[in-house]
Amino acid sequence: MKSLFLLVVAFVAVRSDNDDNAARLLASKSILNQFIVEGKELTVEYSIYNVGSSQAYNVELSDSSFPEEDFQRVSGSLNVKWDRLAVGANVSHAVILKPLRPGYANFTAAQVKYYPTEESQAQQVGYTTAPGEAGIVGLKDYERRFSPHIVDWATFAIMTLPSIGFPFLLWYRSKSKYDVKHKKN
Amino acid sequence: MATSTKILALAVLAVLPLLMNASTCIGPQVTSNVYTTSEASMSISTVFVVEVAVKCNNGEKDLLLFADVNGHMVPATQSGTGKFQVSWSDEHKKLPAGTYGVRFFDEEGYNAVRKEKRSGTDGSTVTPIFTVNVKHSGTWTGPYVQTEFVATCVALLVWYMAYRSKSFLMS
Repeated sequence: MKSLFLLVVAFVAVRSDNDDNAARLLASKSILNQFIVEGKELTVEYSIYNVGSSQAYNVELSDSSFPEEDFQRVSGSLNVKWDRLAVGANVSHAVILKPLRPGYANFTAAQVKYYPTEESQAQQVGYTTAPGEAGIVGLKDYERRFSPHIVDWATFAIMTLPSIGFPFLLWYRSKSKYDVKHKKN
Repeated sequence: MATSTKILALAVLAVLPLLMNASTCIGPQVTSNVYTTSEASMSISTVFVVEVAVKCNNGEKDLLLFADVNGHMVPATQSGTGKFQVSWSDEHKKLPAGTYGVRFFDEEGYNAVRKEKRSGTDGSTVTPIFTVNVKHSGTWTGPYVQTEFVATCVALLVWYMAYRSKSFLMS
């Protein structure tokens, strides 16, 4: 009987760990670009979900994986905080950057710090998902493939003008001479 | 006697907002910086980012802001004293070009809007602390007609005219 009672107590003790009234945050970080091009905007979106059973307090998101000399900040801040995150709620945050150099870049996780309950003294530290490694295409290569090339086509048209225009001129001259003769007759 | 009670009443009314301890902003001076996605190849969904710097006349430092974004309320993130950011994203089709008004509320306003929404209305009667207008000029998804297509059409046209006049001559 005593062993059964102890077993029940142990089971309850283990279970209560999960039912603790605490917040749990899941965070994701994703790059919304189809192509990452040097000198063009890079869109980073963060999403934080509270899947715990209590409000999260003082939620701080800080991303230090974009050094100033490689990424210029266009819009948005890389260190932000929310006062509270309700149970079951999700928030999203976007930052726009501009890569300054082509090459390979490893996009690592950002840090999320929060207090799981109102009274807790210890700050919980978590990390977002990491998008991983991706290549930043150079601007020239991107333009070679995707720009409309209007200037190139205009140049081509001007270059074909002599080879089409010259025979046309000859024909036109002879045609106008022939027409005049016809009228005379 | 009457005037002194009036003065007392006015004094109490003037002091009341300070005593209430609600973080509300009186006379906000707002500078805003807005970004919207311009090219579809740079983002698979259109993203709007609104950054605001708020200075309150009553020197309020612990302001909490909430924004009404396309119908639902979102808490604004704080990126420094008085600096807030609101961002949202959706498919390109759902965020066409135009001006979007983003209303910012403090905690009282937020609770008022939530109450109104629960009772069925859309909460548009609550006055915001301030509103930021976001002008979105549309997300560019590529030119209407490819230049290669135009060049091919012009080439075919020139060839056709030459062929017609040639057959006319030969006939």
